[in-house]
Amino acid sequence: MSDKKGKQREEMQSLKILIIDDNEQITKMLTTFLELKEHKCTIANDGKEGLGLIKENEHDVVLLDLAMPEFDGYAVIKDLEENNLLRERKIIVFTASTITQEELDSLVQRGITSYILKPIDIDKLLSKIVETANS
Amino acid sequence: MTITEAVEEGMFQSENPINELNRMLVRYDLTPNQAKVYLFLSKIGIKTASEISKALKIPRTETYHLLSTLQQKGIIFSVFGKPTKFNAVGIEESLEILVNNEKNRVSELDAGKESLVKLWNIIPKYGEDENEDQNNKFQSLQGRNSILVKLEQMIKESKENILVLGTEADFKRFYFTEFTELLNKTKSDLKILTDHSPDMPHIFESVSSKKVKKIEDKNREDFCFIIKDDSEVIFFISNNQVKDMLAVWTDSKAFVTTLRSLFSLMWKKSHHIDETDAESLLGSEITYEHRLREIEQEKIILNYLQENFQILDKDGDIKK
Repeated sequence: MSDKKGKQREEMQSLKILIIDDNEQITKMLTTFLELKEHKCTIANDGKEGLGLIKENEHDVVLLDLAMPEFDGYAVIKDLEENNLLRERKIIVFTASTITQEELDSLVQRGITSYILKPIDIDKLLSKIVETANS
Repeated sequence: MTITEAVEEGMFQSENPINELNRMLVRYDLTPNQAKVYLFLSKIGIKTASEISKALKIPRTETYHLLSTLQQKGIIFSVFGKPTKFNAVGIEESLEILVNNEKNRVSELDAGKESLVKLWNIIPKYGEDENEDQNNKFQSLQGRNSILVKLEQMIKESKENILVLGTEADFKRFYFTEFTELLNKTKSDLKILTDHSPDMPHIFESVSSKKVKKIEDKNREDFCFIIKDDSEVIFFISNNQVKDMLAVWTDSKAFVTTLRSLFSLMWKKSHHIDETDAESLLGSEITYEHRLREIEQEKIILNYLQENFQILDKDGDIKK
């Protein structure tokens, strides 16, 4: 009983979420969805802007797309890694790229917290975000 | 050949093959007459100032002055006696000495830069240049060396990105210079768009292939430029002969932005230099699949929002 209440509390907790994705449709709709769930979202539509926001460290969790023009998600991960920040932040790789399990494991080993492959059911996406934020 | 014969044949006068040697020596920071005296002593041997003056038809006072300068440079020496005689140091040793003299001079100039700037800053500027801060400066760069100096300066000072566009033929003028080495070392985001034939070694081979893309023939244009930090550009106007090379450097925002846009457009259309046609095709298939997954994700979120909240219009915008 108390476990269930605890879980509900966690889900009710308002999170600060940073979404880094060049797909404006996804960022816009995802923000609408997450804000309706009482979470606060910040959007960055390119890697460079996103990296700056990650470094400010004001977010509970970061959704990071990998395939973006110019400065992509890999470049963000590399920069954070070089600055010893990758393990300090809760980064969920959120990608539609064709990526092998081996590559995903390697990213986790380097320090990302988790990953989500697009397309994903919206409830599962929310659970993953909350779970990662509270991990 | 005796000295009289050599002089009579005009070996040390102009319009003689030896004059070519003379011209070459001038490149080692000797005046034409200093070169003439040095060559005369090297080939004829030990002579007095008076003999040199007569043989080369140079006034005696000037001859003494030339001998004194050459002695200071270290490529001739005097032999004690009355009158004083002079002889030349061997050509190889002399060239070594002259090269070292130049090297030392450059080192001294380099070392003196800081104090010169300090001194420069002490003197206040009296006139105000109204246009000084505007980014609309144009500088014409003529000849390979002046272009190279500016290129190297831009690469060294770059903090964000360097975009290079041009054929290998454009850049082969800078082979064996610091240019490619600096590009290789730069910490800025480097992107090179160039042509490349797989049968030829390419000038950017030391640069990571991820930073180099091949200009597609259909996009090929005869221009060459290098952009630094989206704020400065060197644009080549003539690139055919080393001595005739002509380029323009500018920090004009309009000029830089236009070329930057052109570069981005071409970069998007090109693929990496080590990518085969099959890989390139595969890349486009991956992009297609990738896009399908993204659309699927958009659909999932949109459906959820429409079903659960009914607050979105057809375009996915929030209803007011």
